Amino acid sequence: MYFEVKNINLNYDRVRAVRNVSISMEEGETIALIGANGAGKSSTLRAITGLKKLTEGEIWFDGTRLDHLPPDQIVRKGVAMVPEGRRVFPFMSVKDNLLMGAFTRSDKRAIAADLEGVLARFPRLKERYSQAAGTLSGGEQQMLVIGRALMAAPRLLLLDEPSLGIAPKLVQDIARSIVAINRDHGVSVILVEQNSRMALAISHRAYAFSTGEIAIEGISAELRTDPRIQKLYLGGEL
Amino acid sequence: MEQIIANGLYLGAQYALIALGLTLIFALMNVLNFAHGQMYVIGGFVTYTVYAQLGLPFVVGVAASGVTLAIIGALVQKFLFGPVIRKSVREESTMLLAAGLAFLLDAVVLLLFGEKQRGVPKIVNGIFNYNDYTIVMPYDKILVGVLAILAIAAFILYMQYSKTGRAMRALAQDKVAAQLMGVDVDRYSIIGFALGAMLAGVVGGLLVTVTGINLGMGGPTSIKAFMMVMIGGAGVISGAIAGGFILGMLESVGLTVLAAYGDITYLVIFASLMVFLAIRPQGLMGKPWG
Repeated sequence: MYFEVKNINLNYDRVRAVRNVSISMEEGETIALIGANGAGKSSTLRAITGLKKLTEGEIWFDGTRLDHLPPDQIVRKGVAMVPEGRRVFPFMSVKDNLLMGAFTRSDKRAIAADLEGVLARFPRLKERYSQAAGTLSGGEQQMLVIGRALMAAPRLLLLDEPSLGIAPKLVQDIARSIVAINRDHGVSVILVEQNSRMALAISHRAYAFSTGEIAIEGISAELRTDPRIQKLYLGGEL
Repeated sequence: MEQIIANGLYLGAQYALIALGLTLIFALMNVLNFAHGQMYVIGGFVTYTVYAQLGLPFVVGVAASGVTLAIIGALVQKFLFGPVIRKSVREESTMLLAAGLAFLLDAVVLLLFGEKQRGVPKIVNGIFNYNDYTIVMPYDKILVGVLAILAIAAFILYMQYSKTGRAMRALAQDKVAAQLMGVDVDRYSIIGFALGAMLAGVVGGLLVTVTGINLGMGGPTSIKAFMMVMIGGAGVISGAIAGGFILGMLESVGLTVLAAYGDITYLVIFASLMVFLAIRPQGLMGKPWG
């Protein structure tokens, strides 16, 4: 298996946030982790990046065990994260933010080529190239952090709530670029979303979380019409 | 008037360099380094030893001050502040540690260099006289002023354009995001502390040629450094530089204008600072690292 989360448990103080969660994916897949706020999907993502230590379980990526490594080492294994709430470096220029994304790399020519690629994918960033990132709109900042993660030339891209607080029109743009990143570069994607309609539309498979556990898993296209999903998230139609 | 401005610029360049080191350490680790002045004093004594005692060139002395303090800074972060930051949940812990470190370094200086005031031979002789005594300044003051400004410029360029500088700015602005970019927080905290302490050491080495150095200068230097950072805004490069030059200028103006009323320059500066902070507690450019 290319990427595997094996039976993980996570605690915050003594409260269990994630219980016996297992996830697996093949290379080139996009999977979605959906569920309500506090269901444990973001915690699972934080565990993959090394920001949150596991209580039990293992995480494996392409033959390497990740769960004992610190965050900066996990990036070097090819796992890049787009954190929740965007978290741009607010007083740095768009350019410096993007260059920070390539922090672990030293191949100058490839970095320059990837920088061109990101600017071509998000032309707005080119317009704001030397502006401080903190002055960008929410949607532009989201593009910036996705571009920043791409600058690491990742093989596995993690996105934590990329649609949160973004204008509906821009959510579509961002969804399209996630599909394109997966398709064009063969980057595997794990997408955490409360917006399950969007997440199920652009992923191959999905795991639905409920109170720290995986309640339902399956092919995204099938889950979109699954009455259990609609019941689980009250959202009525997806 | 011109003379006051020239003095202010000379002082301000030294002060700005001290404040930059302090603000760098604060921005990266949220540590208020109360031992910054003591680090400055050690820098002065190292240059004194290398240049005046051993007879090596002055530049070697300043370089030795910088290197010595960089090593001290790195060790202090690795073995003292690093472990405390990791373990403690309260920020007061590092403040107490910094205060303790200041006492420790005072004791070390007393043991190694004694309590006497030390001076060094003039690095250059002669006095610059512009426009028939409009501005009079000894060449050694001009030289250390220029060296300090060059050091400030080098620091800014390093922070702005080097990969390490960019990583430190990122770390100061968002620690978690910086980690996610692959920045090793422990390693860069050590680099940052070493760099901040190095700046204090370099200024100590530069100023020993003008003011000499003694054990008692540590505490007052720390206080001045904190004032500059408060004036400019904590954790901001531009703020530290502005604060340094403003304090240098105030001191220069005060020593001339208020001379008739006795030694009250710093009394007036402290009082004005309190009023200023009451109106603008975040300082002139108060925002996180920029």
